[in-house]
Amino acid sequence: MLVFVALFVVLGLGLNVVVGFAGLLDLGYVAFFAAGAYTMGLLTSPGSPIDAGLNFWLILPMGILIASAVGLLLGLPVLPLRGDYLAIVTTGFGEIIRLFLINRDDLTRGSQGLSAIPRPDLFGYRIDSFTEWFYFVVAAAVIVGFCTSRLRDSRIGRAWEAIREDEDVAAAMGVNTTKYKLLAFASGAAIGGLGGVIYAAFIGFISPAAFSLQVSIDVLAIVIIGGMGSTPGVILGSLILIGVPRILQFRETSDFLANLGWLRDGLNGLIGAVDALTPGSIGRLPPAETWGAQLADDTRFIIFGALLVIVMVVRPSGLWPSSRRRLEFAHDDAPAPAPVTAP
Amino acid sequence: MTAAELIVDGLGMQFEGLTALADVTLRVPPGEIHGLIGPNGAGKTTFFNCLTGFYRPTSGAVYLSGQRIDGLPPHVITGLGIARTFQNIRLFANMTVLENVLVGQHQHIPVGGTDILSTRRPVYPTAVERLLILRGFPRAAVNGVIEIAGAIARPPRVRAAEAAAVSRARDLLAAVGLRGRENDLARNLPYGDQRRLEIARALATRPSLLLLDEPTAGMNPRKPPPWSASSAASATNSIPPSSSSNTRCASSWASAKTSPSSITAAKSPRAPVAIQRNPTVIEAYLGTRAIQGGGHAAP
Ligand SMILES: Nc1ncnc2c1ncn2[C@@H]1O[C@H](COP(=O)(O)OP(=O)(O)O)[C@@H](O)[C@H]1O
Ligand SMILES: [Mg+2]
Repeated sequence: MLVFVALFVVLGLGLNVVVGFAGLLDLGYVAFFAAGAYTMGLLTSPGSPIDAGLNFWLILPMGILIASAVGLLLGLPVLPLRGDYLAIVTTGFGEIIRLFLINRDDLTRGSQGLSAIPRPDLFGYRIDSFTEWFYFVVAAAVIVGFCTSRLRDSRIGRAWEAIREDEDVAAAMGVNTTKYKLLAFASGAAIGGLGGVIYAAFIGFISPAAFSLQVSIDVLAIVIIGGMGSTPGVILGSLILIGVPRILQFRETSDFLANLGWLRDGLNGLIGAVDALTPGSIGRLPPAETWGAQLADDTRFIIFGALLVIVMVVRPSGLWPSSRRRLEFAHDDAPAPAPVTAP
Repeated sequence: MTAAELIVDGLGMQFEGLTALADVTLRVPPGEIHGLIGPNGAGKTTFFNCLTGFYRPTSGAVYLSGQRIDGLPPHVITGLGIARTFQNIRLFANMTVLENVLVGQHQHIPVGGTDILSTRRPVYPTAVERLLILRGFPRAAVNGVIEIAGAIARPPRVRAAEAAAVSRARDLLAAVGLRGRENDLARNLPYGDQRRLEIARALATRPSLLLLDEPTAGMNPRKPPPWSASSAASATNSIPPSSSSNTRCASSWASAKTSPSSITAAKSPRAPVAIQRNPTVIEAYLGTRAIQGGGHAAP
């Protein structure tokens, strides 16, 4: 579970470059994740037609490279698009990649997926246990976090921020907006690809179903809830959005809920009362032994959604905003300079 | 960069039926300060947009120091030495004052590699032209990777470039009177300071030609103009805007002496009052009767 939290920190940091730094609303981020994962899967899974049995450590840079190429592939056609239009087109892009993975089943084995992907192995040392994986992914997240914060505090980071603020003016200041937008897409994609390779090696099985729009939305939610452009925010966002729903999936949680038999009976009574008043039947809660697990499962998205709403209402700049954003929102009450127009 | 000569030849700009600029021809020799005067909607801003690559003129040509620049993308034109401010201030509102000026220095912060993505790219590429951009691609990709690697590893070379840029930015800010505001967000500055910052940011691009679009718009006519011409000029080599005690005139000034479309007025920059007495100018603002009636009747 914690491995996933760390993995989504990596993904969040990657998307943060595109959305938080450069202000490009990318809803197709899962495509890069998939590109990385399928690089790993195709080159190592025994079921793949091009299985090369390559080592994880060789594939890692390849996956990053291929994902950046996919990032450029997405970036080029969407260069002239801004805001909402960008979000729509990138959403489509993510779906295209997923459908491609399903339909090219001669290569990807379609929805059957690729299995038995080997674990990383370096000079006989294998990353196997959950603890090892956790430390491994955390290390990856730390490295990625270091890189993105260095990028933010550089000429590139400033160019991205200027594009986010006002693309035309950025160009008038000498920033080649084409180049820097592509760089943002490519760096974000590279990190997504890294996450994908790690994911495939960790899970050992990948199929197109794992690369749905929901992943893009989850990662975007992490970035927004944590605080756009903020590294600690991404960590916090991932802990909450990936961690909490999975805690709700735990045996312990469902056992706990299963013990609350009186609550189930009470709710059933209530439902029965409503049922009596309405023409159709709205059913009853599941039997006592399974309702805990089901409830945990069913409420996951409710809690997820409620959290999103609450955070956005209470802390519009995110849970842990970047110092910049904090400044922005803190000064919201300051009197805006009166835009005096020319006579 | 030293001052450069601007030549505009028969420039025209048409927006689906609306002619904003027609046959603008003018020459701005190096080192001179010129004003552009005309009523609202006359096309002054449109003219600037054509010079800086924001618009692609529908006819005519623009040359800077002998090189044809119309149709080039804005960042390339900026690199060739034209800087501008905006009539309605357009700062990077959520970046700090210092960062705004640092963005202005973008092309002057060496990061290794050569910084090129097909410099001759037209502003609004067609599908074919977009494919041609791909030809410069491998080189741009290599440069991009070098720049990213430099930003992450931050070798002494990059550190030094960054430090130099920051110190130059501080100098520029001091020159326009914004010392001590470096870490404020641009949008939290008072109006006049925002104008100053815009000028500092434009100067940071090291222009040989500086275009100021109504730099005194919305300013108090009784207070001094928003910049200190002499100090800004000494901080850079560019053409400083002239400050005039006559604010009505100063506000319609910019550094080009021209005659766009309907209105006219090419005047010696050192004689703003003379501009205001020029019959063509009076006609443009007040109509023909104003001149016939001895220069003081309003329509
Ligand atoms: N992008 C555009 N599309 C259509 N018309 C425009 C555009 N830009 C400017 N114009 C028109 O061109 C004319 C000149 O405007 P402008 O250059 O802003 O005048 P000025 O700066 O002298 O007040 C106006 O009639 C304006 O409506
Ligand atoms: Mg104007």
